[in-house]
Amino acid sequence: MTTVLTPPGRRARTACPGPSVRRRPPLLTGAGALLVLLLALLGPLAAPHSPTAQLAAPFQQPDGQFLLGTDVLGRDVMSRVLSGGRTLVLIAFTGTAAAGAVGMAAGVLAAMVSRRLGDLLIRCVDALAVLPALLVVLVLAAGFPGSDTALVAAVALATAPFSTRVLRAAADTVLGSGYVEAALARGDTRRAVLRHDVLPNIAGTALMDTALRLVASLHLTATAGFLGLGQGGAVPNWGRMVSENVPGATLAATPFLAPALLLVLLSVCVGLLAGRLADAVGRGPA
Amino acid sequence: MSLLAFAGRRLAGAAVTLVLLSAVIFAATAVLPGDVVSAVAGVDASETQRAVVRVELGLDRPAAERYADWLAGAVRGDLGRGFVGDRPVTDVITTRLPNSLLLAGLTLAVTAPLAASLGLWTGLRGGGADRLVSTSAQVLAAVPEFVVAALLVVVLAVWLEVLPPVSVVPLGGTPFDVPHALVLPVLSLSAVGVAVATRLLRVSVADVAATPYCEAARLGGVRGVRLAVRHILPNAAGPAVQALTLTTGALVGSAVVVENVFDYPGIGRELQLAVAARDVPMVQGIATALVAVMLAVLLLGDICARLLGAWEGHGR
Repeated sequence: MTTVLTPPGRRARTACPGPSVRRRPPLLTGAGALLVLLLALLGPLAAPHSPTAQLAAPFQQPDGQFLLGTDVLGRDVMSRVLSGGRTLVLIAFTGTAAAGAVGMAAGVLAAMVSRRLGDLLIRCVDALAVLPALLVVLVLAAGFPGSDTALVAAVALATAPFSTRVLRAAADTVLGSGYVEAALARGDTRRAVLRHDVLPNIAGTALMDTALRLVASLHLTATAGFLGLGQGGAVPNWGRMVSENVPGATLAATPFLAPALLLVLLSVCVGLLAGRLADAVGRGPA
Repeated sequence: MSLLAFAGRRLAGAAVTLVLLSAVIFAATAVLPGDVVSAVAGVDASETQRAVVRVELGLDRPAAERYADWLAGAVRGDLGRGFVGDRPVTDVITTRLPNSLLLAGLTLAVTAPLAASLGLWTGLRGGGADRLVSTSAQVLAAVPEFVVAALLVVVLAVWLEVLPPVSVVPLGGTPFDVPHALVLPVLSLSAVGVAVATRLLRVSVADVAATPYCEAARLGGVRGVRLAVRHILPNAAGPAVQALTLTTGALVGSAVVVENVFDYPGIGRELQLAVAARDVPMVQGIATALVAVMLAVLLLGDICARLLGAWEGHGR
């Protein structure tokens, strides 16, 4: 959620001038993120038991049959952990993709139309950005109870305004540059300018921005799960597993610790990667 | 433009935004189908029962008309009554919002000095300590706040048993009656807040430290704490405060989550309960109230930044 404001590296650069230090590629964070993502996406195939069936007494200690013990309702924690990440990751990625597409389209549109119309569009976007992201999710969840599609829409709606702003600013810079003026002067159509000048030049910014939105989306999706929004009932979800099993923490630690640590690992790795990407784009020949 | 005119213009803008957003909230909850009628009449209600409930709730009228009514009521301070328990929405907001503001105020009191010192320290020193604090802040800001809160609950309340795991406030009492119940919520919110604010302030401090003004002060022999507090902080505070107000949205979200973790009787807890019960008027009222608070904070941030900016002008 906080990432929406992360400055695109440039300000930080002026702070510490001097030769840019070549940093090692983020292998560890990359591997961590990949590991959790693979676990989330492929985990359901590897679940040893049904993630929704009650198999034993609640809060049993880990043993040979239940590798991570059982949860508050006596369901296998291992199977629920393996199955509980897929929806979360898919919702966050779909929401981010949708937000990226909407933000790109709206941002470029606001830059290409007349200044006055563009400013009006950005005003409306700013008004939407006032809505706290979680509020958007809660309000849409009230409108469409138990719907994952509504969750995707809410995640996209909550993050798209920021993308729109960033991409409009980026497109504006390109449109104000000398070579676009030259291209327009020699008679290129606006469409051609858009394709050959604007889009290639804002691609880096768009990528960085999407990465930052992904961090926010993951955060938001996990929180929605924790608050019991989206598909309800017995469907496993890392966020909801934390809220279900915290009251039983005296009896068994694994049922809430396993999903909580996976969420920490995922958000930290993706967050650090996005930060590095933002630094790289800010430092490169933007 | 004088400060008053500036504030007046911003206030008008905020009012227009509030009306627009209340319409958006109304549309998202009332016009979209949902199943308000089933929520009130029960899932297995007959068609006639449903029709009766529909008329009782006024849902048979066109949405625009309902919104106009709601808006007219809202201007008079009447946000209707909740479907669940038939409580007036305004009453719920006026009793719960102060609790949440108390939480926010305490968090601010913890966060501001801590973030200011950490931001100054890392922004001025640079090097290994800077990288360590900055990375920790980045890591902490990335972790969802419910995970932070849940881990705090488990470690401090369940395993070490030094603090109560939930903030149960006695009926009719205020959170002041049970001050120890406030510790964990404030701690969770502050962890997130310090992480966010330190990062923002650090950038701002580093910018100011690179200015000729600061260089001149340094050459004049001003160093250490004096340099940081007298010369850098006043100049760095303006941009940082403004940037910080922009994260209010995220902090409102954090507050909703943290209140839910600890069962704290605030507005966020009430909102989550209303969403779970599909209590549409309650959701509309609370959401609009939260947006109003957001807009007020943004407005205050703008005014603060302007005041600090004016001060900065004098300082130079």
